[in-house]
Formats: sequence, structure tokens, C-alpha cells
Amino acid sequence: MTDESAPILRVSGLQKRFGEHEVLRGISFDVHQGDVVSIIGASGSGKSTLLRCINFLEQPTDGAILFHGRNAETEWNRAQYHAKVGMVFQSFNLFANMSVLKNCVSGQVRVLRRDRREAEEKALFYLDKVGMAPYRDARPAQLSGGQKQRVAIARALAMDPEVLLFDEPTSALDPEMVGEVLSVMRELAASGLTMLVVTHEMAFARDVSRRVIFMDEGVIAEEGAPEEIFVRPNQPRTREFLSRVLGA
Amino acid sequence: MNALPTSFFGWVGFILEKYGTLFLSGVGITLLVAITGTVIGFAIGLLVAILRTIPVAPRAPWYRRLPLRALSALLNVYIEVFRGTPMIVQAMVIYYGCMYMGLRMPVLVAAVLIVSINTGAYMAEIVRGGIISVDKGQKEAACAIGMTHWQSMVHVVLPQAVRNIMPSIGNEFVVNIKDSSVLNVISVNELFFMSKSAAGTYLRYFEVFFITACIYLALTFTITRLLRVLERKMDGNTNYIIYGSQSDSKAAIVVPKEGGVPND
Repeated sequence: MTDESAPILRVSGLQKRFGEHEVLRGISFDVHQGDVVSIIGASGSGKSTLLRCINFLEQPTDGAILFHGRNAETEWNRAQYHAKVGMVFQSFNLFANMSVLKNCVSGQVRVLRRDRREAEEKALFYLDKVGMAPYRDARPAQLSGGQKQRVAIARALAMDPEVLLFDEPTSALDPEMVGEVLSVMRELAASGLTMLVVTHEMAFARDVSRRVIFMDEGVIAEEGAPEEIFVRPNQPRTREFLSRVLGA
Repeated sequence: MNALPTSFFGWVGFILEKYGTLFLSGVGITLLVAITGTVIGFAIGLLVAILRTIPVAPRAPWYRRLPLRALSALLNVYIEVFRGTPMIVQAMVIYYGCMYMGLRMPVLVAAVLIVSINTGAYMAEIVRGGIISVDKGQKEAACAIGMTHWQSMVHVVLPQAVRNIMPSIGNEFVVNIKDSSVLNVISVNELFFMSKSAAGTYLRYFEVFFITACIYLALTFTITRLLRVLERKMDGNTNYIIYGSQSDSKAAIVVPKEGGVPND
């Protein structure tokens, strides 16, 4: 990492096929340290699959993911890679058999081999950051959707990730709970965390991210700064998508 | 000795007095075989489930995929064979088969072995069902945080799966208490075997096996109650404490599960 401009994460020629169905048809882009990248696009355009391929919840059919210049599939220890590239899910996926605190501790202890006391301190620090420290003893089933997602974010942060992937983090939430999660994400973006966010929240994509990727039918149709994409989109299909979701 | 009893309950009392210790030692062996057999069988079931769910990357080379395929085929054979034949036959084949090959096992060891292997085959399927009942997102979240297959199964998926299959595990336990009686064919001196010897002396089959039935019922009933208690323990607290409310940082409020906290 001597080169300041070297990307932290490089997606190169990524392809994913489910049987005959081509979901990703050659996706390439770079993510730099501190980037906040929003990935937008219609349902079925491959946004979530792209994110799931980046952390190997789906196996890419072709192409490569380079993390710090090394192939994530072959040159990284899988557990280490996962610890450094965290993920926040649409459906939260908090460990249902553990308390809020344990959710944020177990990965640190099992994967990073941290001392339990140190792990609990770190977990409480991040739980406090997302406003969930008072609920440390609650079980996931006892929380609201917004609370669960904030815990899930704290769980991911406790691993000290270098990149955090968000897979439609607010799509499963009741409207009044979207705000609490987005405000946490805004703070994270401001703190300099490298984030890759698949989202339907256009306001977030426009106001918070540094770069927006518009995906359509398995390819990147357009990418650029939010003001370019939202104010002066080049592609007709970008314009069409935006007018549809913004209701303009 | 007094004259022999003449009524049903007279005989029951007489037999209990005369053969009480015999019954007790039978109960001891039955419990020993059923409990160890179920516990070991459960462990086998968990292990098989972990092995059968090892993920294989489609791009993995053949020398990675082949051993896993072979292992999974082997495990399937094990399950099919031991679920597909009666335990009484398995007992004969294993016990006398070992003897044929010059391995003379103590009957108690053979008994535990047979019940364990037999239970393991059923448990493997029960645990598989339990794993299916756990949301796939749980495993994904565990992987996404960097846990290995083993870690994610042991710490995240199986604890939830086991909670869901507790009723079936209880079934297996009860079945084992009762079905260990078939082991009398290889002379394991469990409850049924002991009852047979007790009945043989005075030829009082009805009275003796009436007692035996009552004992089996008492055993299984106790076990099912104990498992219920265990299930409730696994469910954990329905209450939790909120540390430090907005108004008072030292306040600790207990919120009931169905109370003010919104559910999804």
C-alpha cells in the first residue's frame, strides 16, 4: 500500500451465471480507501448478486476480486478476507441464538481470536455508537427491525473491517425506521469508512455517497459523481430509471 | 417362606419383594444403555450433519470435490442401512459378526455400540431437518463475519437447529428406553431380560410384565418431563434489562417480551 491511489478493492470482469441466466455480465470497478459508493438500479439488475459475489456468498462464474492487489479467492485466507470485508444484510441476519452483545462478540473471539473482555469492550463501544448499548442483553427476536439493523452494523464494525458492504440495508424496514439506520450510515460515511452500498434510497445515494454506480441488466450502465448521475445523466436508461424512482 | 400368594396384587407384591433388586438392576442397565446410546447417537448425528453440509465451491478442483462426494455417499449408505433394518437384527449381526471375526465384545459394550449407531442414523436425519429449519441468512451472516464452516455450524446454526428438534430428540430417547429391550437377544441384562428371568421362576408372566410396563412408563414419563424443563431452559429469559434509560443513567427497566418493545 505504498501507492496512495491504489484501490483497496478492485472488481475485474466479474461474471455470474445461474444456469442459463446471466446475472452479471462483466463488472469492473475500483473502490479506494474512504470511498462511499452507492450501487443503484432496478430490481433484477444484479446489484445484490454483485455484492454477494464480492464476499463469496455466491461463487463468481468468472472474473476476479482483488483486495489490496491480491486475488481474494486464491491469495487471501477466506476468514481473514471476510473479517476485513464486512457485510450488512437486508434481512439483518442477527444470530438468533445470541444476545445483542454476544452477536457483536462472537466473531471477534472466534475469528480474530480476541480476548473476550477486549471483544466486549469493543462491542459495547460500537453498540453505543449505533445507540443500542442499552439493549445489550436483549435477544434479536425482542427488537424492532431498525434496532436489529443497527445491531447488525455494530456487529460488522466490531470486526474492524476495511470495507463494509451494505445489501439494501433499509429495504426490509418500516418507513419510520429507515431514518435511524440511514443516520448511522451517514455518520459512518463521514468517519471515513469505505462503504459499498446497494440501495433504493436515492437521497442517500445522492447526498452521502461520493460515487454512484448505476447497474442495468448485469452491466454498469453509468457511473460517476452523484451530481453527474442525478443531475446530468448521460445514458437514456439512467434517465428513465431515475425519473421512475424519483417520480419526476 | 410363607405360602404363595393367591391374588393378582398379592403376586405383584410378592414379586416386587422377591425380585425388587433384580428389577432395579435391570432399570440401571436399561437407563445406562438408553442414555449413553442416545447421547452418543446424538453426537454422531451432529457430526454427520456437519460433514454433509460442507460447502463445495463449483470451481474447486476435482481432488477437493471427490473426497467430499465419497464421504457423503458413505454417510448416506450408513443412514440407509441402519434406518432400513430392525435394531434387533442389527444386534444379532453386529454381536455375532464380531464374534465370528474373533472379537468377543462384552455385551454391555455391544449394547451401547448398537444403540448408538442405530440412533446416530436417525439423529443424522433429524438434525438435517433441524438445519433446514434454520434461516439460511444465519449461515451466511456467520460466513460473512469470517467463521469457518465448523464454527458457523457449532456456534450459530446447530444451537438453533437443536432447539427446534428437541421434541424429536425426546422421541428418540423414549424409543431407546423401550427398544433397548430387544437387546435381550444378545443377553444384555436390561429390564426386559430381567423381567423374563423373574417371570420364569414362578411362571407369573402377567404380574411380572405388568410391573415391567409400569416401570417403563415411569422411566419414559420422567424423561419426557425432564426434556420439557430443558427446552424451557434453552428458550432463555423472556425479559431483558435496558441499561441506562434516557432519564436516568442508572435505571434498569425490565421489559416483558410482549410489552412495549415493537415486534416485527
